[in-house]
Amino acid sequence: METLVRIVDVSKIYPRVHKPRERLQAFTSLLFGREPAHGAEVLKNINLEVVRGQSLGIIGENGAGKSTLLKVLTGVIQPTRGRVMVHANVAAMLELGAGFQPDFSGMDNVRMKASLMGLSSKELTDRLDDILEFADIGEYIHEPVKHYSSGMVVRLGFAVITACRPDVLITDEVLAVGDESFQKKCISWIQNFLRQGGTLLLVSHSMYVVQKLCQKALWIHDGGVKKYGDVFPVTQAYLAWHEKRSAREKERSIQATGESANYRIEKLILKGAKDDAPPEFAMGDDLDIELQIYSPDDRQPVGVVGIVRADGTPVYGVISDNENITPVKLSDHLYRFRLRFTNIALLPGSYNLRGYSMDPEGVRLFDTCETVFTITGNTKETGYIRLPHEWID
Amino acid sequence: MAKGNQRKFDRLFFQNLVVRQIRQDYLENLTGFAWLILQPLILLAVYAFVFSTIFKARIPEAADIGFVPYLAVAFWPWTAFSEAILKANSSITANGALIGKVAFATEQIPLATVTATFIMHLIGYIAVLIVLQLMGTSIHWLFLALVIPIILLMWLFACAIALFSSAIQVFVRDLAQILPPLMTFWFFTTPILYSASYLPESMQGVARLNPMAWFVARLRELLLFGEVNFGLTALLIVLFIAVFSWASLRFFRRFSGHFEDFL
Repeated sequence: METLVRIVDVSKIYPRVHKPRERLQAFTSLLFGREPAHGAEVLKNINLEVVRGQSLGIIGENGAGKSTLLKVLTGVIQPTRGRVMVHANVAAMLELGAGFQPDFSGMDNVRMKASLMGLSSKELTDRLDDILEFADIGEYIHEPVKHYSSGMVVRLGFAVITACRPDVLITDEVLAVGDESFQKKCISWIQNFLRQGGTLLLVSHSMYVVQKLCQKALWIHDGGVKKYGDVFPVTQAYLAWHEKRSAREKERSIQATGESANYRIEKLILKGAKDDAPPEFAMGDDLDIELQIYSPDDRQPVGVVGIVRADGTPVYGVISDNENITPVKLSDHLYRFRLRFTNIALLPGSYNLRGYSMDPEGVRLFDTCETVFTITGNTKETGYIRLPHEWID
Repeated sequence: MAKGNQRKFDRLFFQNLVVRQIRQDYLENLTGFAWLILQPLILLAVYAFVFSTIFKARIPEAADIGFVPYLAVAFWPWTAFSEAILKANSSITANGALIGKVAFATEQIPLATVTATFIMHLIGYIAVLIVLQLMGTSIHWLFLALVIPIILLMWLFACAIALFSSAIQVFVRDLAQILPPLMTFWFFTTPILYSASYLPESMQGVARLNPMAWFVARLRELLLFGEVNFGLTALLIVLFIAVFSWASLRFFRRFSGHFEDFL
């Protein structure tokens, strides 16, 4: 496979430049080819290789360094350390409409942008009709760009890119702007571009877009690569990480009431679980669960088993009492429920399995216990659960 | 630099930049093209009034030519030179939005500013020469063929200085304040308002190191007196400007990849 983009050990330090003295220091260190004395390291030893025809999604939280990575890749900025090699004709959409001069007409700006992207005047003349058709802004093309709505600027910006027929397309969250129909137009253009062997590097916060358009994903965290690989595991891990982070506070209140509980949970076992890592199941696997409850008065307690998303959103819960299930007595005061979710229909992601203990009357909740597990799989469905469905003509 | 990083000099893009600059600086602000010719002529009339009527300036070696033509022939190229450098100095900071978003050979921006300024002033220069001819000064039009390479050298010299200063301007913002008085100083130490022979003996040697003094003297000789005086100095000046331009381009490129961090 032909490697189009390769970056080796790339680091980027943004020097501190608030005070004139710091600027002067940065100036002299650049003059003598030294690294800036102090600054923020926004990229740390990134290695990446993109071959022809590949589509790579770059994900990560705000400020993780995604945009800086794209700027380094497109040559807008130089890395502090490391090398960037790009052996292809690249079109970058770091910001659609970047470089548009507000006082000039749309047509003038198209001319300018096209020449910036290396289009000859003949090529531009040939493709001008396509550009205007794609932008679809009518007579506004002769108006100064400052009178455009932001959507029109984006349309025009994207239209110029489409005319450039690049080998590699680099975009930074540009599909988030523009109206619904234009977004669809852009996505279908990109899909077509990919079908024809185009190479794509895409930064997006929409996992839907990333999964739809990309084969691989790169998760950038704190300027470093956190995970790289096929799009599904990486995006799922990213989403799970996000959910867990936003759920951290909630969890605290759900913590087991512990010792004081009368009917307390002795064990919640998910088969296949090891101590160190959360267990993984594929969609369609069976989940075998065991819940052991201590009963102080040796009456049969009621058990509850539920599944919540990592952010705490309930997905499913079942109460033994309601299904007329009685536990097996293991020893004095100790009762056991066993439950199997067959052919699990949960969509890929990170989940918590929760067990609850209730008194024999099924009125009061006494104890809670939970364990994490992950569902893996390749699917572009959204939501938590696959509902049985069929498409009707 | 890799091909895909698109940092090569692009002729068409450069053309567009120059045209954009011209439209922005001259055509959009003034009421059309006519002003472009009128403005230098009005300025010339002002100088004529101040220097020949009020100061009654006389230049011995140009007694029969008159002061105004003597001044005008040197003054326009200087104005182009000085204005080009001052405008180009802040061109990188002014185009920060473009530089931060699109990869291209950044040196095109100061170079386009210098080029646009020279083109516009050259048009004014020719207008001034025509008016001088109509007013009775005999201009040696044939020597325009030799004037052009001199103007080109001045343009290259201005480009080189602009590359230096615009790169430094990104880091040291005070330069925008320091540069105008420096250019004024250069203007008065160059024999534009006066003849080189007015300089005291002790300064003649130093004045010879000023390429602008050489340019100005040659322009006057060619256009007003029809004399050709290209000697070894011409070769040295060409050599100096060539080396200086090369060095300033290297200097500029050393920083250009990092401009974005400072804009």
